[in-house]
Amino acid sequence: LLTFTGSSAMVSLHLVPRLIALLLLLPGRIRSSSPVFNSLLSDLQGDPELEERCRDLLRDFGRRYESYVKCAVPSARPVRICENCHIQFEMLRVVYNNISSDQSEGSGSNRSATFLLRADRLMLVYMLFQNLEDVWDVAHCSQCLSGDGLSNITLRYMAKLNQSLSCFESQKNNHSELCRVCRADYKDLNEFYSIMEKNQTLCIDIEDSMNATRRLWSKDFNCSFPREETVPVIAVSSFMLFLPIIFYLSSFLHSEQKKRRLIHPKRAKSNNSLMNIQDKHS
Amino acid sequence: MANITKRVSWSSLCEDRAPGEGTALLDDTPGARRCRRQEETLKQPNEIPHNEKLLSLKYESLDYDNIENQLFLEEEGQMSPMGFKCVEISRWVICGLIGFLTGLIACFIDIVVEIVAAYKYKIVKRYIDQFVVEGGLCASVILWAILNSAFVMAGSLVVAIFEPIAAGSGIPQIKCYLNGVKIPRVVRLKTLVVKVFGVICSVVGGLAVGKEGPMIHSGAVVAAGVSQGRSTSLKKDLKIFEYFRRDTEKRDFVSAGAAAGVSAAFGAPVGGVLFSLEEGASFWNQMLTWRIFFASMISTFTLNFFRSIYNGNPGELANPGLINFGQFESGAYKLYEIPIFICMGAVGGVLGAGFNALNYWLTIFRIRYIHRSYLQVIEAILAAAATATVSYILMYCSDDCQTPGEHQAVEYPLQLFCPDGQHNSIATVFFNTPERSVRNLFHNFPGSYNSLTLFLFTFTYFFLACWTYGLTVSAGVFIPSLLLGAAWGRLIGNLLTNSGVSIFADPGKYALMGAAAQLGGIVRMTLSLTVIMVEATGNVTYGLPIMLVLMTSKIVGDYFAEGLYDIHIKLQSVPFLGWEAPATSHSFTAREVMSSPVMCFNRTEKVGTIVDVLSNTSAKHNGFPIVSDFTTNEPGRICGLILRSQLIVLLKHKVFVERAQLKQRKLLLKDFRDAYPRFPPIQSIHVSQDERECTMDLTEFMNPTPYTVPQETSLPRVFKLFRALGLRHLVVVDNENRVVGLVTRKDLARYHLGKHGLEELQLAQT
Repeated sequence: LLTFTGSSAMVSLHLVPRLIALLLLLPGRIRSSSPVFNSLLSDLQGDPELEERCRDLLRDFGRRYESYVKCAVPSARPVRICENCHIQFEMLRVVYNNISSDQSEGSGSNRSATFLLRADRLMLVYMLFQNLEDVWDVAHCSQCLSGDGLSNITLRYMAKLNQSLSCFESQKNNHSELCRVCRADYKDLNEFYSIMEKNQTLCIDIEDSMNATRRLWSKDFNCSFPREETVPVIAVSSFMLFLPIIFYLSSFLHSEQKKRRLIHPKRAKSNNSLMNIQDKHS
Repeated sequence: MANITKRVSWSSLCEDRAPGEGTALLDDTPGARRCRRQEETLKQPNEIPHNEKLLSLKYESLDYDNIENQLFLEEEGQMSPMGFKCVEISRWVICGLIGFLTGLIACFIDIVVEIVAAYKYKIVKRYIDQFVVEGGLCASVILWAILNSAFVMAGSLVVAIFEPIAAGSGIPQIKCYLNGVKIPRVVRLKTLVVKVFGVICSVVGGLAVGKEGPMIHSGAVVAAGVSQGRSTSLKKDLKIFEYFRRDTEKRDFVSAGAAAGVSAAFGAPVGGVLFSLEEGASFWNQMLTWRIFFASMISTFTLNFFRSIYNGNPGELANPGLINFGQFESGAYKLYEIPIFICMGAVGGVLGAGFNALNYWLTIFRIRYIHRSYLQVIEAILAAAATATVSYILMYCSDDCQTPGEHQAVEYPLQLFCPDGQHNSIATVFFNTPERSVRNLFHNFPGSYNSLTLFLFTFTYFFLACWTYGLTVSAGVFIPSLLLGAAWGRLIGNLLTNSGVSIFADPGKYALMGAAAQLGGIVRMTLSLTVIMVEATGNVTYGLPIMLVLMTSKIVGDYFAEGLYDIHIKLQSVPFLGWEAPATSHSFTAREVMSSPVMCFNRTEKVGTIVDVLSNTSAKHNGFPIVSDFTTNEPGRICGLILRSQLIVLLKHKVFVERAQLKQRKLLLKDFRDAYPRFPPIQSIHVSQDERECTMDLTEFMNPTPYTVPQETSLPRVFKLFRALGLRHLVVVDNENRVVGLVTRKDLARYHLGKHGLEELQLAQT
């Protein structure tokens, strides 16, 4: 589950550089107050007040967008995006909601929203936010958050994780010792994770950290269960497989063979079929 | 095992022939000519071991030819055009009911299997997980084996004790039924109940079996039951659909039932109709096709509907069949892949022929040595235990670990010795119901299985499946074949993907082709199988490659061995008539084929004579020509034909000329229908000494216009009459219309084209 989620999140993250580029362009465009924007082409000509409000919202959106991306990109590996950036994302969401629900002025329709979000084919603001929201959804971040912080269960997981990792740290040099000493902590962590998995309270941060820990445990420290019972398993299995052979042999030797009694049907006597054919062909 | 291979053929006992070598009838070597039938009869042992070249006396023919006697004509004459319309409408109603009930049964089986299997796998998984940690893994093997054996034992016991005919997939039996052979007890309610229970047990018991084949049998039983409007087993007569109480009508409904079964099994209504057409019905017309299609549609709809309710979203009709191959996203194939597909078809043909040959020997061994029911149950139990053990060993030894993907949740992931967070890859195919394993092989993303895993799986599963088919459990061979083919197909796909050429992307596609090839190689169906596969994948694009694959596998397979169902029909010694007479049989005439002399009756016959003839156990005849001027030496002129079943009904109702005044009413066609299909044996009818002296007038009841042929008619011509008209008796007459012989199904079925030319099968008591 982990790798897969990770990879699809990575796909979405590929968009990030492009987003940043767009972001850098965006405020510049507005600030430059190019003649095009002020010209007759503006959708909101004749309503300078509304236009100003929209620009404010847009500027606000840009700032928050910037701060979120600045947070998210460094948290890409190892993934800590939910934990580190949930505040920034929440702020971004608030301003986006402001834009999309703005209907203070005008003739009933939410004009600022229309102006910023749906006035053109590109629908840049909408797309930018949508992309980030998709990333957030794919990462299942909301499953680790409650209210305005990490959920209790996530915090408990983090504590257990730290416990295991510090144990690993302390026994780093002797792997066989590590397996013995840290098994309890690790097992506890693993079981807790399984419960979280069942309750669907996992987000990418947790999945990724657990993934890495398991890799450490199984691959690097080589603490998986060894295949040590080969002899009894083979013995039991070969006994089981031996039974059918005995069965078939004994039924071959002891069971009486089923015989069929032949019946000789009445046929026209003179026209014995065999003779007939043979005669015809001779 | 040497004596299994020895075939005893009727002419092989001549001195100048090596024993065991089949001799051709048309072989014109002088040695063969010197053989005399008379000598042979003396030398031939009366008892021989069972082999494929026998015809059993136990099987009788069905009466597909209407008996147009006076009663029948009178009744038809009384029916108004409205009456015929009602009959037609009730045919449609019955077909709808057949579809509905078949779908319901499929749904029941599916849900029960799902629930019980989930429960079983959860328990076993818990113990395996626990034992990996704590040690004692051999205990988990034993636990798994015992659980499996317990289920299989229950299923096998029920089959072996209550209804042995319910063993296997039932497709060979239905094929025989539709061909016109009356297989005892094959379409009874009891068989259905045993079948359903048996299938659930054997699938849950983890055998290498599927529940699709038995669905076809179940559908046929439902059809035979519903169309009669009564159940003899339950002694309940609803007094409806009485018009359909005869073999001719029942046959049509049974073919509809078989189609409905296929349709429910694979979600393939068109495939179901074509299956009936290809495998079953020898008799066909357009209206029937349309009705059968209706039954199929209703069946798949019913299954779909009830499953949607079970899955919690009623009305969302997304699961048309028991097995769902799932959607192939990369629907396309490239032109350069077609040669690869064709090669896979050839591989499937070879493997299928190997499978059939192996199963053939195994089945002969079973018939000869494992014929007691307790031995059969033990065999099934051992097979179940061995299946669990083999799966376990493979899982234990496998180092193939996979990380599950988000969209491919593994149902019962077993970690075993894999790193944490991963699961054992071979467990996803062994530790699962076969249907799910097939779907995993089709759809898991590339790289889910490494090639060694797939190879080991194919190798072991081949033998497991081959061993399992023919056990005394009710189970089909469709799913094991698909699974086997999917495994090696995916193996080929894997090898192509890893070959470095990036043009072969999706091993799942190859798994599909492999599955088609393997199934085609084993059962040798063509048209219907193509359509079934296309419908089950829901992807018409794959139509051509699947067709090519099936064609190749059939051609290649036929070169080596027969289809599995045909082999089993032969081993059951069923007098099965092929599409056409054997190729080199033109030199035979009706005179050589017929049985003679014939037991005949006069128009008015003494009751004593009739009772004596019917009670004669050494010659259990079924049809008796009615002749005029009958003397002991001279055969009489034919004027009709009467059946044993009719005579028994007449005797039961004591329709004697001398008692005519006492009889309250005239015997009607209804009295014959009421006795159908289980006519009492002659022993149960008591005829007093007084009554033996009475006479019966058979004129009214006999079929006054039986089919007759002159003595010189060739065998293929006789064969054609039989096949096309569904005859049971064909009277052979001389040029003065005197009865000289009678041709029945067994007389024709005994000629068959073997390796050495035309061979003759022997009749045997089984």
